[in-house]
Amino acid sequence: MDVRSQIGMVFHLDKCIGCHTCSVACKNVWTDREGTEYMWWNNVETKPGTGFPTRWEDQEQYKGGWVTDGEDLKLRSTGKARIIPNIFHNPAQPSLDDYYEPWTYDFQHLFDAPEGDDQPTAIPISKITGEPIEKIEAGPNWDDDLGGSPIYAANDPNMEGLTEAQRKQMLEIERVAMFYVPRICNHCLNPACVAACPSGALYKRGEDGVVLLSQERCRAWRACIPACPYKKTYFNWSTGKSEKCILCYPRLETGQAPACFHSCVGRIRYLGNVLYDMDKVREAANLPDEQLVQAQRDLILDPTDPEVIEAARRGGIPEGVIETAARSPVYKYVKEWEIALPLHVEYRTFPMLFYVPPLLPVMSETQGDVVRNSVDALFGDVEDARPPLEYLGKLFAAGNLGKLRYAIKKELAVKIWRRHVTVGDIDEEQAKRALVEADCSPEEADDIFRLTALSTFKERFVIPPAQREMAMEMLVDPQELKAAAGFGFRSAPRRS
Amino acid sequence: MHLTTTQALLALALLAGPLSAQEPPSEETIEFFSLNCKSCHTIGGGRLTGPDLKGLGERRDRDWVVRFLQDPASVLNGGGEYEQKLLADANGTYMPDLPGIDAARASKLYDLILAESALEKSQFAGVQVSDRPLTEADVERGRRLFLGAERFKNGAPACISCHTTAGLPGLGGGVLGPDLTAAYGRLEGRTALTAWLSAPPSATMQPVFAKRSLEGEEILALVAWLQHEAEGGDFESSPRSLPFVLAGIAAAGALLVLFDIFWRGRFRGVRRPLVHGGNEA
Repeated sequence: MDVRSQIGMVFHLDKCIGCHTCSVACKNVWTDREGTEYMWWNNVETKPGTGFPTRWEDQEQYKGGWVTDGEDLKLRSTGKARIIPNIFHNPAQPSLDDYYEPWTYDFQHLFDAPEGDDQPTAIPISKITGEPIEKIEAGPNWDDDLGGSPIYAANDPNMEGLTEAQRKQMLEIERVAMFYVPRICNHCLNPACVAACPSGALYKRGEDGVVLLSQERCRAWRACIPACPYKKTYFNWSTGKSEKCILCYPRLETGQAPACFHSCVGRIRYLGNVLYDMDKVREAANLPDEQLVQAQRDLILDPTDPEVIEAARRGGIPEGVIETAARSPVYKYVKEWEIALPLHVEYRTFPMLFYVPPLLPVMSETQGDVVRNSVDALFGDVEDARPPLEYLGKLFAAGNLGKLRYAIKKELAVKIWRRHVTVGDIDEEQAKRALVEADCSPEEADDIFRLTALSTFKERFVIPPAQREMAMEMLVDPQELKAAAGFGFRSAPRRS
Repeated sequence: MHLTTTQALLALALLAGPLSAQEPPSEETIEFFSLNCKSCHTIGGGRLTGPDLKGLGERRDRDWVVRFLQDPASVLNGGGEYEQKLLADANGTYMPDLPGIDAARASKLYDLILAESALEKSQFAGVQVSDRPLTEADVERGRRLFLGAERFKNGAPACISCHTTAGLPGLGGGVLGPDLTAAYGRLEGRTALTAWLSAPPSATMQPVFAKRSLEGEEILALVAWLQHEAEGGDFESSPRSLPFVLAGIAAAGALLVLFDIFWRGRFRGVRRPLVHGGNEA
């Protein structure tokens, strides 16, 4: 058993209101520099929709992630032999057009415009060329709330494989079901970007598994960009280096939650470390799609098991980190309650960001010209969830509907149980029957309710203590760069 | 103007005229003549590209020769009957300007020519290359030497690096120097061509071949090859730049097609076809 510690995350989608505060917080902290304007290390997608970049889940085009032959993994985008003929032009490279051309507005014109018949407007100015843009065609959340066109929802790759009736149901404008999927780098257990990099610039930090990209070693081969199936590495055209979400590690190291976690108004985000068994990752990653959710759960070890603790100590994991693993909200959601699921685990990178799927009950429907409202479905059957389970199953369970149904049933049972406790219009027997059917006890339901609805900062973010300074002190003075910190380069990159 | 002792002596020598002819010509002058003159002129060996210089002293005086050597073109253009005949004999070809010539050197050359003319057999009576008949084997060896398939013994570069002939296959040879298909005819045959090759006098070739001269047998083989080329007849002597450019365009096109096939699965954009393809539900 090779025990390692990894920071995990949970996003509770039933709580996300799609306000994009997380995206803005991240943009203000990290990506407002030249060359990074188009990057959204954190973005929020409307589902159904095509996301950012457009249709990023279509791996036939984008060539992200791993494929298995049952015994070993291969990158979809590149390989030891394929990298040679493709090294100067990676054939799966998305263009800026598939992201969007970032822009600002000529606000000064509002003040300087000469007197005229019309109100002056602030025309959009490209952040790439500095020229005015005739017509803005795309943005990082262009399909937000359908963006005025059902074309994006209709082309959601997750809609493929649904029955005609289900597709129609999802696209019917009055019934359209929308929910939001905030996305950041998943800091995968088996990251494809790290494997693809010919320069070895990408690496997984030993102490907490945060995936980082060295700005000094990056040689702009851009192999990481097609390789990452979540399209969360971005190429900075100004510095000629790729960049990605760093999980705000300078904040983590000082005990603070990352900026997007910290700023989340819906309090949907949870962060904590888990212990996992490195020896089993290869075997798990080669299992068939429908076993992957369970395989990933099995990698995560019980941090209270004495045997695991002993192995963790042998592996050099500090006591403080083992202790935080035992309090991790991620462990509870993913492993104890089994209601948080990974996004597109079939890419076989084992993303360490898990999502509690949204319930989205049917609350109104049209019959002719009449709109009928009802609260029955609030506590009704999970199959009445508006996005068909098949759709959610494609996103969160690699098609394994059993895992998804289990999670949604339990979420619903908790709601029924708490309705019984706080309002009392559901009798105890009915509530308990729902709990039993969902494989849940009243105590567990209360725990889920508490962590979901009433949790404090310290319960949501259980940040393992950073040991890095202590290790570094022996080699360098950690105060050396004090007051000189910031995002940048110790030796500035040059394009020659 | 300050005169150095040497210059003063030289001036005296010039004035003295025939007296100085008694002095033996210096090594330096002989070498200059070998490098610059003997590929076109003999002394008592008959006409090559230029006239035989034997008895020059009886035809022209020192003053004329010194002027002529320093600027052949203007003397030829501005001259009378004699000069016009010179030009006519050479088929209108002007004698090229000599590198590093001045009045003193020109005068020494005149002395050398006088001295050599007086001899029974001058060392410049003609190129010492065998006049045996040329064979098929010579043509073949010449071709190999021209192409560089066989190296010149003294390390001179192969002709093809700068020259081409009509009979070469494919894209032909180099285009830095002139096409040599007609060289045999231009130099009026074997004797002059042999002389030219024994010490190529042109400004480009001289520094290259001065220290890496061709051997007698090599020269014969090349002459045989160039004669064969000149007699080829059915070849149009023309620069190959057009076929070369066309072949380049065709190859570039073929490469693009190959690349397109090799990378046929490449990423071609998603958003634009999606939005502008009108795939609306």
